[in-house]
Amino acid sequence: MNPGGIAPARARDLSLWTDKKLPVLFIAPVVGILLALAIGPLLFIFITSFTSWELVSMAPPQFAWFGNYANILADGRFWNAMKNTLILLVGGVGLQLVLGLATALLLNREFRLKKLVTSLFLIPITIAPVVVGFQWRVIYHESFGPLNYIIRALHLGNGFAWLADTRTALFSILAAEVWQWTPFVTVVLLAGLQSISPRVYEAANVDGATPWQVFRRVTLPLLKPTVIIVALFRVMDVFKIFDLVFLLTGGGPGSASESVSLYTYINGFRYFSMGYATALAVIQLVIVTVICMRLVKMMRVGRA
Amino acid sequence: MVKMSRRLVLVTAMMLAISLVIGGGIVTGQSRKPFEGVKIVAFGDAGHNLKPFEWYKDKIKEESGIIIDQVVGVPFTSVYEKLKTEFVAQTGAYDLVIFYPAYLGEFAGLGYLMPLDDYAKKYDPKLDDVSTGVRELNIRYGGKLYALPYDGDVLNLYYRKDLFSNEVEKANFKKQFGRELKAPDTWDEFLDIAKFFTRKKGEKLAGETLKEDFYGSAELAARGFSYAWWLARFGSLGGVYFDEDMKPLINSDKGVKALELFKASLKYSPPDVMAYGYEELKNAYLEGKVAMVVQWSDIQKKAQDPRISKIVNRSGIAAIPGTKAGDKIVRSAPMPVGRVLAVPKTAKHPEAAYWVARYLSVETSLHDVSSSETGLDPYRKSHFTSPKAFAGLLGSEEAAKEYLETVGVNLENAYPEINIPGAGNYQDVLDLYINRALSGEMTPKAALDAAAKEWEQITKKLGAAKQKEIYLKAVETWKSLGIWK
Repeated sequence: MNPGGIAPARARDLSLWTDKKLPVLFIAPVVGILLALAIGPLLFIFITSFTSWELVSMAPPQFAWFGNYANILADGRFWNAMKNTLILLVGGVGLQLVLGLATALLLNREFRLKKLVTSLFLIPITIAPVVVGFQWRVIYHESFGPLNYIIRALHLGNGFAWLADTRTALFSILAAEVWQWTPFVTVVLLAGLQSISPRVYEAANVDGATPWQVFRRVTLPLLKPTVIIVALFRVMDVFKIFDLVFLLTGGGPGSASESVSLYTYINGFRYFSMGYATALAVIQLVIVTVICMRLVKMMRVGRA
Repeated sequence: MVKMSRRLVLVTAMMLAISLVIGGGIVTGQSRKPFEGVKIVAFGDAGHNLKPFEWYKDKIKEESGIIIDQVVGVPFTSVYEKLKTEFVAQTGAYDLVIFYPAYLGEFAGLGYLMPLDDYAKKYDPKLDDVSTGVRELNIRYGGKLYALPYDGDVLNLYYRKDLFSNEVEKANFKKQFGRELKAPDTWDEFLDIAKFFTRKKGEKLAGETLKEDFYGSAELAARGFSYAWWLARFGSLGGVYFDEDMKPLINSDKGVKALELFKASLKYSPPDVMAYGYEELKNAYLEGKVAMVVQWSDIQKKAQDPRISKIVNRSGIAAIPGTKAGDKIVRSAPMPVGRVLAVPKTAKHPEAAYWVARYLSVETSLHDVSSSETGLDPYRKSHFTSPKAFAGLLGSEEAAKEYLETVGVNLENAYPEINIPGAGNYQDVLDLYINRALSGEMTPKAALDAAAKEWEQITKKLGAAKQKEIYLKAVETWKSLGIWK
């Protein structure tokens, strides 16, 4: 019997247990909170999407398997909303990236009042979406809006009913979206440009590279991770676009400017078809996740 | 010591007596205010129709002790979704709610509202004085009283009587159409007149050169309530919502013809008419941009307010146009909106809320419906027999009589709103497809076919048998009132 020999073994066991279990104990509250706040609601949405749950009649939810998803795939209004959302996504994010990069390159040069101009650029981002919606409603007004006033003053025609015409409503929303969020892209890309070492440019100049070659072969590759990150943010945001659509056109005229988010809202809070609305939400979640994963992959490939 | 004690007793007794008198007075005063200190929260669509709460809050407090703590306003077209969300979640956030009676079937049927019959016995809401249509269609469900009327909406025709009585215009119209220029009796005549008055900038109108384009008519063509402007045509053609087996009939020939008539009128409307809701339509008429509009009853009052109107004393009101059926003209005046006051089952102070509802529906209603400050319209028999109350606003007692008589005629030709459970859903889908046809996205026939298909799905998901039973009961009521042929 050597009690002194057992004690170190127990101490070692305890130490091993502590090493293994203690981190779990520390992490447990965070995991619990995450489950309750993020995973829980997501799970609820996922389960609800497989039910037929009509709050209008207050009938209890019934399991519908993939019924909601099948109905969505056969729903012309959903595909119309998806088409509109993709137009806003491709057109909006594309324009924001092009204009944002152009303005970032301009702001990356030294000139007088640079700080003031850069600060002014931030104003649209800070305005509440409700105010932006109201402001653009006024700008687009057929009779007293400044846009039509300018068109008439320049004798370019009588102007348009921007928000009331199926041909212009969606693009009017797109313009307002580009106006508000291009400065965000500018600011992020400007930070990216300023993080590129001046030595790289010096080396390119020494090698006799033309300005276009410098932009094409030096600036763009080094800016690519920042471009992808800002595109990621904008894609996630534009895919969910709701406020401007709701405020400017309400999805109309007809359903000419209805976005997927607005259609989901209508199903959830106007028709109170909770199963259908949550299935729409799950589809959006899957699409935006796939797009974002693709962008993240592009970023990793760029780094490698 | 004895003297001191006596004095002390005397003084104490006097003070006691005085305090009893004062205290008694206070107690008596309190008993005259049955709800002293009770705070209520009211809900409704934001804007001018919530003004009465502001106007009378001091008086309500003075008479009942009730404090109007908060009046929550939401956009005109968001009333259903906001209220339904509150009711489903049973938040108890509101004591008194204003909504559109199309939702009464759903809200009362699902037990969201408190029956008011017992309160009505205690505080008389004077329902015998309420116009029959409003009383039978808007405030009762399943034989019980669930709401009190607040607004008597019906659609009317408004026209520029200065233009219609201009000799040059009259002569030109007669030359062009071979008949007298007068307020249109039929939707076809409506289109002729709209076409006649549509002029370009620089052309003459009633002898004056136009500085801007002028339009024959305007419609409420924005999403939300455009379905009601279609119903005005559909009803006059004899259209009905469903057959006896709940098969939608909105895509019948009558439905398609009604939508074609509606769409045809947009040719003579301002170019941004597809964005016209209540405000835009009202402004187009009051700013003198259009010759005719179909609108709610408050427009004539607004037209007489020089602060907002350029057509003071120049607006006429007429029966809504109809469709010729033999020698007769069948008119159909929809009653969209038509607000009512109700008390949710979850209200914290239901009796106090009812007291306020009754106060606004009975005591102040004549003032509120005859004021240009609100958009509230007459709904009590006593309103229609009080032209003096409207005379100051409408220019003369004669003008007031003409206004009240015309609104009365349109109420007699009322076309009921669909008010079965899911009404908000049926209306929204119908409105969407009407809007898609108006904007040129779909043909009228394709749009109404799609709407009918979605109506079938709504009926199915809400329970076809139950929906049929409720709808057929509603039809019985409409027939008994003589507003459903």
